[in-house]
Amino acid sequence: MAKTDRTRPVVCDAGPLIHLDELDSLDLLQGFATVLITPAVWQEVRRHRPTALSRLPRSSEQREPEGVADERLTAIFETFGLGAGDREAVALVREVPGALLLTDDAAVRLVAEQLGIEARGTIGVIIRAIRHGTRTGLAALHTLETLPIRSSLYVRSGLLQEIIALVRQQVERAE
Amino acid sequence: MKTIQAEVPDQLYEQARVLIEAGWFRDEGDLFREALRRFLDAHRPSLMEKFIRDDVAWGLGLHGKD
Repeated sequence: MAKTDRTRPVVCDAGPLIHLDELDSLDLLQGFATVLITPAVWQEVRRHRPTALSRLPRSSEQREPEGVADERLTAIFETFGLGAGDREAVALVREVPGALLLTDDAAVRLVAEQLGIEARGTIGVIIRAIRHGTRTGLAALHTLETLPIRSSLYVRSGLLQEIIALVRQQVERAE
Repeated sequence: MKTIQAEVPDQLYEQARVLIEAGWFRDEGDLFREALRRFLDAHRPSLMEKFIRDDVAWGLGLHGKD
C-alpha cells in the first residue's frame, strides 16, 4: 500500500529548507514522518541560511547516503550538473523506501523524474498545508502573496498570480 | 547510462565533427552531453514552471487525497 504523506519520510534539498525558513514555514515539515538532511545539504544551508537549521522540526535528522553512486547515476548527475548536496539528496531518497524528495531545483526534478522518484517543492508544501489543516486558506494565501518580497525563491509573477487565483478559488469553494 | 539514437542533419553533424577534431570535445557523446546540458540550463525556467504547476495540483490534493 502506498504511504500517505504524513507517514512518509522526506529528503530535503537545500532550496526548500532555505525558502520555507524565509517564509517562516519550516514547521510545515512536521507533516512528514521524518525530515532527512544529508551532510552536504546541511553544510549548504549552514552557509546560506544558518537560522533554518535551528528551526527544523524535531523529527529532522542528518543522514548520509550509504551507497556510492554507480556509473549510471554519476553520468546522470554529471549530465544535469548536480551539486554535491543535490547528489546526496537524490542518492539518499533512493535508499529510503517511500521517501519524497523536496527540491526547488529544475535539474534535480528532471533527474528525479528520470529515476522514478517523486519530488515536490516549496510551493506544493505551502498549499498542501491547507489540506492538512496546518494553515488556514488565508494564511497560505498570504504566504504565497508575500513570497516575492520574503523569499529568494523565484516564481514568475504571472504564474504566481495564477496559482494564487486557483488556490483562492479552491479555498472559497471549500468554505 | 541511457543510449540515445538520433538523426542529425548532415550539416549539423559536420559542424559537430569539426569541434571534436579541433579537440573541443573528446568524442560525439561528450559533445551531445554538453549540448543537452546547455539546452537544459537554458530551459530551466520553463521546466520549473511545469514542476510548480504539478506541485500546486499535488498541494490541492488533485493527485489523490493523502
